[in-house]
Amino acid sequence: MPKKPPNILYRADETPPHTVTGLTVVQQFGLMSINLIYPVLIGREAGGTAHLAGDLVSLAFLVIGVGALLQALPRVGSGFLCQPVPSAVYLIPSLLAARRGGVPLVLGMTVCAGVLEMSLSRALRRLRPLFPPEIAGLVVALTGLTTGAVALRMTLGVNASPAPGASAAVVSVVTLGTMVTLNVWGRGMLRLTCVLVGMIAGYGMTAVLGGFRPADWETLVATPWVKLPGFDHLHWAFDAGLVIPFAIVAVAAALKVAGNITTCQKLDDADWVRADMTSISRGVLADGVTTTLAGVVGTTGMNSSSPAVGLASATGILSRRIAYVLAPLLVLFAFLPKLGVLFFLMPPAVAGPALLFSATFMFVNGLEIMASRLLDSRRTFVIGLSIMCGLAIDFLPGAFARFPAWVQPVLVSSIVLGPVMALLLNGLFRLGVRKTQRLVVEPAAVDSASIDAFMEGSGAGWGARRDVIDRASFSLAQSIEVVVDSCEPQGPLDIEASFDEFSLDVRVAYTGPPLELPEQRPSNEEIIASDAGQRRLAGFMLRRHADRVQAVHRAGRSTILFHFDH
Amino acid sequence: MELLEEQITGVTALVVRGRVDSTTAPTFGQRLESVIAVPKSRLVVDFRELEYISSAGFRVLLVAAKRAEDAGSRLILCSLSAKVRQLFDLGGFLDLFTIAASRDDAILAAS
Repeated sequence: MPKKPPNILYRADETPPHTVTGLTVVQQFGLMSINLIYPVLIGREAGGTAHLAGDLVSLAFLVIGVGALLQALPRVGSGFLCQPVPSAVYLIPSLLAARRGGVPLVLGMTVCAGVLEMSLSRALRRLRPLFPPEIAGLVVALTGLTTGAVALRMTLGVNASPAPGASAAVVSVVTLGTMVTLNVWGRGMLRLTCVLVGMIAGYGMTAVLGGFRPADWETLVATPWVKLPGFDHLHWAFDAGLVIPFAIVAVAAALKVAGNITTCQKLDDADWVRADMTSISRGVLADGVTTTLAGVVGTTGMNSSSPAVGLASATGILSRRIAYVLAPLLVLFAFLPKLGVLFFLMPPAVAGPALLFSATFMFVNGLEIMASRLLDSRRTFVIGLSIMCGLAIDFLPGAFARFPAWVQPVLVSSIVLGPVMALLLNGLFRLGVRKTQRLVVEPAAVDSASIDAFMEGSGAGWGARRDVIDRASFSLAQSIEVVVDSCEPQGPLDIEASFDEFSLDVRVAYTGPPLELPEQRPSNEEIIASDAGQRRLAGFMLRRHADRVQAVHRAGRSTILFHFDH
Repeated sequence: MELLEEQITGVTALVVRGRVDSTTAPTFGQRLESVIAVPKSRLVVDFRELEYISSAGFRVLLVAAKRAEDAGSRLILCSLSAKVRQLFDLGGFLDLFTIAASRDDAILAAS
């Protein structure tokens, strides 16, 4: 059974008390409501009315509810709380489709992207070498960064008209300050509900400072309590010219889900070492089904919410039961437009800090996933160049305007360009990386530094876990030391290290008597009294240090085989 | 391997830097011996910069602990990294030595 990390209060399969569940549901809902802006923007681009925007949002609630449930069910989705939301990943291609062919083209192309993501989910296991953990971490970190940039734009009111005044700054400081203070120094319920309390504080401060516009209140009052979503816009169209951007978005969406689920797996298990591809594959399938459903019923593309995972990380509540409560409520909200409008009218000075809060956790989680592996210069380039190229889109707007039209779909967003670059570079740099490395050690000139460098360099080239390489380094150094000192090897020692994602095998072969690997530790007296005692201690430690070890002697040639699970 | 010796309020603190293996263990053993052979002496061995210790190094430590006991001296180890602590654990040495979390704790315990 996985071990619960110290900062996690409720693991995915645990059930929090009703109060905690209720408050967490409200927080998750508040955070995802920020993304409801995307269907509105896309509907506006398609020339739609406020009525159309309202229908797109209501139907989005419906799809998010179904998607949240699919994603949380362990045998159907990933089994984690990482519900879908209308996603920024789909924004740029959807705006393009809206301009070219209105809402029908947006819906048709969204179905295409969803179906492609579903197909990708079936091939993920075979594609695993192309999606190593550092690329999943890169997607999570980039998502955190870009979400953080959006959050900062909202908070600072960049390009807002009218520009936010001092009162908005006060609201932002109060909102973010409350969230951070409660998360760092809060205890019990206050820590669990830090985002909700921060949002309430922000709403309260906005009201006190007169930040709500009369038009906001009028919109709220004019919205009916109960209303069926409209389906007048439900037509589909297809444009072959938009297949590439939507295909790229589908890949980016799959990578983002994989990153989110990897983060959830890591948060859920203190001893996490590698991504569980079954859970990821199901999660990507659930995400693809959700996006397909979004296109079919008449709303915009969905993707697993990174801020939701960030919130789970911040509060320590990963329980999938939250999704079981959240899902039916969201379906209900599809028929209660006033509630949706209340969240939709969230002031930017509240929404921005809330998004910034969760983006911070996403970014750091991404860094941690990337740092869990040894990185050589190839992998450094994969990560560094991809991040920098991705960020260039945000830092240097317009810099890629003169690139050919066929490559433009990749240049729409850092969340698309970064992962695409990483996949290409990873594929390129995999060429020439040998899975088996060899070293010859002369007994008369043992150089401990070169033995360490052999394991470190090989591990970095493979992207192996540091702790496994450390254990292998000790086993190799100790075995060479004891063989040279006490087995009188004839000729050089042949070292071979082989790696795949699941295991590391190290082989030390020499001409001479075999090494004893006792199961019992020699006594302290034996160790002190003789070299034989010290040799037996070495053998005992080598036996315990590897997951499996074997000493073989055949025709005067001895081989020690170390196996490490990876 | 590099050994750095310091006197702190009557306690000898020995910082071990690098690797203790069959090549360097004799030098390490001689330095330990030179301190703890003095009756009632107090020695803190600081492992914060230790990269590797093999069975040869553990043997030297066992010998030193026995000498210290015979001479009425105190031998305290401190600042083991997670990697080195794991080796002590694998070899069954964690309970055989007095091990402090930091050098300050070790000096306090030795004083």
